[in-house]
Amino acid sequence: MLHKPHSALIIVGHGSTLNPDSSAPTFDHAEVILQQGFFKEIHCAFWKEEPSLRQVLHMVDSDDVYIVTNFISEGYFTRTVIPRELELDGEITQRNGRTLKYCEPVGNHTRMTELLLKRAAEVAPGVDPAATSLLIVGHGTNLNDNSAFAAKREVERIREMGVYGEVLNTYMEEAPLVSEWDTCTSQPNVVVVPFFIADGLHSYQDIPVLLGIEQDTGLAASQRDIFRQNPYSLRGKTLYYASAIGTEPLFSELILDQVALFDARHAQNEVTTTSHSTTSL
Amino acid sequence: MKRNLTQALETWIQQGCRAIGQIHITPLPNGGYELRHAEDSERHDLVTYHRPSDARALSFFDDSNAYRPLKTAPTLRHGWSLTLQNATELRHALDYFYPAMTAIWLSYLEGELRLVPLRETLERQTGMYAMAKRLQDEEGQQLVGWHCVLGKCMKRTLWDFAPGQPLNVLAPEARTLPDGATKLGFREIPLICQEACNHLVPACRETVKAREKAATAQNTATT
Repeated sequence: MLHKPHSALIIVGHGSTLNPDSSAPTFDHAEVILQQGFFKEIHCAFWKEEPSLRQVLHMVDSDDVYIVTNFISEGYFTRTVIPRELELDGEITQRNGRTLKYCEPVGNHTRMTELLLKRAAEVAPGVDPAATSLLIVGHGTNLNDNSAFAAKREVERIREMGVYGEVLNTYMEEAPLVSEWDTCTSQPNVVVVPFFIADGLHSYQDIPVLLGIEQDTGLAASQRDIFRQNPYSLRGKTLYYASAIGTEPLFSELILDQVALFDARHAQNEVTTTSHSTTSL
Repeated sequence: MKRNLTQALETWIQQGCRAIGQIHITPLPNGGYELRHAEDSERHDLVTYHRPSDARALSFFDDSNAYRPLKTAPTLRHGWSLTLQNATELRHALDYFYPAMTAIWLSYLEGELRLVPLRETLERQTGMYAMAKRLQDEEGQQLVGWHCVLGKCMKRTLWDFAPGQPLNVLAPEARTLPDGATKLGFREIPLICQEACNHLVPACRETVKAREKAATAQNTATT
């Protein structure tokens, strides 16, 4: 059990100046972890919202600070933008008496596969997976982003399990296109899980239009009175559309796991270093 | 001495602080606090809330239910009252209403707030924002004068355009702290901008992009 009564946790999300739901999962996971009382303090920070990455360190009282990025994959943001804005030197940064510990992004966690399967099963209860095509939909075309690579990795893992009749990657802006969900699948049931952190612009507003379940992008999720109802009988198939994978409440466990994994990795490094030192003596 | 923002906040209020942004803070006899929109002081029909996390929904949307991507815009929703049990909850709620603002004020008072000139912010941009480095001085001054006025953002813009080059379009009251802000027993926690935000930097990029696109079009037309 993680117990960090003298440490702070900063959860970093992307956020949006256009969509109010982009930061929601990051705030939600932070509230859950706060209630669990594992850390002295918890803060969120965003690239596109407030508090910004340039502000958040002022909010921290503790000298021991863990930073976990709530991103679906490692890439331009986790490797370049966030370290630059937080002025990190690497995985461990010592500054002004503080230790900043930069953990792996949430999307790198091996339990992502389990969460995708859980979400797919929940959105289509009682539906035979063997007669179902599972589509994991990502953005695609992000030049410096590895989200497409991460989505492919997850699809391969799920496919190897042999539970679903078919498991495919699709994308918003490159082939295979999610808009062709009916022609690229062979099964009568189709479950679509967005490989995104939030039910923001892409997963809540853009993809439903591409799937054909909405005529236009409409309002953001939090500004609607009525939420969508599965399933959809469309184009001769039964379609189930899930919320973005990042809204899964178990993501808060993954955030905590990344902290624990950071500690384990660095404890191992210390052991290795000590062992080498002993040998050299 | 260890930094303790919760304690600092408690002390400021004990010494007379009663406001931040558009929010009025009332200390309660039981050690708790009540927050409401300062313009709702005489209202008796407010919807009451009791959890710090309720501040999130209250801060995210204005009176017309439009998204507020800039929390220091003078568009805080009316019609609510939030009762909090202690200073820890108060700090939590204020971090939703005015993210980082109490912390930045403490850093300012402790002399630990570095003010970052706009040029420095633009110079470190990469990716799609790298072109913002090519912003011309006059363009930048005009943009700050347009985006950072108090009518759009209540933060006081304390950074310079570049080292030794102050902001010259923005009105003085928008780039200085209010009178008496730092005196013992200050009544209001000032909102401070220590560095250009994620609204201004994209605007700088758009300005450069539009200018260079126009120049390319003109060159094409000429040839």
